[in-house]
Amino acid sequence: MKMHISLKFLCAGLLIYVAVFAFITPLSPALLQTNLTEIKPGSHTFELVGYNSHFQSAGSNALYLINDSTLSIPCTVTQVADESHLTAEVTLPNEMHSKAFAFVLNNDIDGTVFLETPLKVTDFTMNPDLARTTMPLFQHREAQFFNYPYQPIIMETIRNLMWHVPMWFTMFVLMIISFAQSIKVLMRGQRGGDDLLMPIQPERVRPHDNKAAMSAAVGLVFCVLGLITGSIWARFTWGTWWTRDPQLNGALVVFIVYASYFILRNAVTQEENKWKLSAIYNIFAFILMVVLLMILPRFTEGLHPGKSGNPAFSQYDLDSSLRTIFYPATFGFILLGYWMYHLRLRILKIEQAHENLLA
Amino acid sequence: MGVSTVREIKILLQKEWKSEFRQKEHFAALVIYLLSTIFICYLSFEKISDGQTWGALLWVTGLFTSFNAMHKALDSAHQPQLLHLYTLATPGAVILSKCLYHAAQIAVLNVFSLVLFLLFFGDAVLIKMDWGQLITGLILGSTGLGTMLTFVASLAQRTGQGVGLMAILGFPLVVPLLITIVKFTRLAIEGVTWATNGYQLMLLIVLNVLAIVLSYLLFPYLWRE
Repeated sequence: MKMHISLKFLCAGLLIYVAVFAFITPLSPALLQTNLTEIKPGSHTFELVGYNSHFQSAGSNALYLINDSTLSIPCTVTQVADESHLTAEVTLPNEMHSKAFAFVLNNDIDGTVFLETPLKVTDFTMNPDLARTTMPLFQHREAQFFNYPYQPIIMETIRNLMWHVPMWFTMFVLMIISFAQSIKVLMRGQRGGDDLLMPIQPERVRPHDNKAAMSAAVGLVFCVLGLITGSIWARFTWGTWWTRDPQLNGALVVFIVYASYFILRNAVTQEENKWKLSAIYNIFAFILMVVLLMILPRFTEGLHPGKSGNPAFSQYDLDSSLRTIFYPATFGFILLGYWMYHLRLRILKIEQAHENLLA
Repeated sequence: MGVSTVREIKILLQKEWKSEFRQKEHFAALVIYLLSTIFICYLSFEKISDGQTWGALLWVTGLFTSFNAMHKALDSAHQPQLLHLYTLATPGAVILSKCLYHAAQIAVLNVFSLVLFLLFFGDAVLIKMDWGQLITGLILGSTGLGTMLTFVASLAQRTGQGVGLMAILGFPLVVPLLITIVKFTRLAIEGVTWATNGYQLMLLIVLNVLAIVLSYLLFPYLWRE
């Protein structure tokens, strides 16, 4: 009952691929800020700061100030200082139809990038009909290099998606194995029914109990890793190492429950009793995990994506570039977890055989 | 679950009630425990000025009292004549009667705790409270706690380690129930409509059903050597 060698190579290959590409892929270009804070009719000169952009190497940059995404006013780029700084000029008419403004920059490498910024608007005559008469002048283009999507607060930490989320998937898979093996322990380890005198056959139950315990043990390791990567991510995006989020607190409770499972296992000395009691507790723990991590967060305010109105990665954040790394990462980590579980199981078997020899 | 199971449950409940009545000091001890806990809260908090603390404290007290109420369940299961009685009944009837009994006991204790809270902390923060929701929460919380803790107590009792292990195994398992009931109570104190509190109510019912179904399904594996 060994894990096939090809699966081990697949696992290692996937994880190396993930480790490399999760870090070397650049973020999508974006516009960070401008020093233009107030606009009125007439001419303005302003600076624009980009992120991961290629103002210089792209050659020419087409810049527009757009009004409520229907009216676009071309700006003149007067000076490009470096890849991420440029100075531009814009002349604005007297009439506008809305107070919402955004910058759009178009070049051959970065594609189309936006900056939505609150501008203080004065002295314009508001003319709502203008929107229908003017067409946008720019054409939307994609960046010319492979990148991860730029998200305002998440920024570079989006790479953590490849580590943090697969940890939880792996934990779930391992806990499902543990749950299934626990049910088998109960089914095979039951004395009674029609034949009260039939003894329990240890060799029919022990393997399942070993599997349940070892997969829960490895699952617990992934739970801790998920908590650690999550905590680091929380520090950079939510500003604190730990916060009041239902999934975060639920994950900690899951950790405590499975830790209690091992305390229970150690507390019971009689083997048949241990199998039965820990299997029962394991089933409770699994149901609790489903409630805590999959049901409760949907009914409680939280910070995780996809909960209480926050956007989910699956909706539009998890675009194709993230998927090319995220799916291999998930699959690779699940394989790794399964591999670890097999190793632990084999070590345990050797230990038990050793004990039998000594006994 | 036929008519005979219902009859068994009835008989087992009567048995529990009689043994409770014979050992009144158990219940008296719980009442004294509750009284001193709430009195300590009263002395240390001096004044509770918001509904959230009021509701949370009510349930934290409820939780600890429920754990204490289980000690008797842990002790009494050791008695050999009870083991004999349990072999006469079906395991389903045994666990359902135990759960029902403890749920009722915890509900009574929680109502008592509510009265003491009103006595010591007053109802100044409860002006907007929806009493119907609070009582519903009290009942659902008590049944949930009663069921889960009964099962954990049976499990802990089988380990032979008793009280210490009971707390370790039990606390994490009741966390979802506890956070839901605390939120339900907080919203009830804020005086929201039933519809607004519907999610919590639904979750409470789901958790109760889960606890009862799991106990009913797993107890047959647990109760006999």
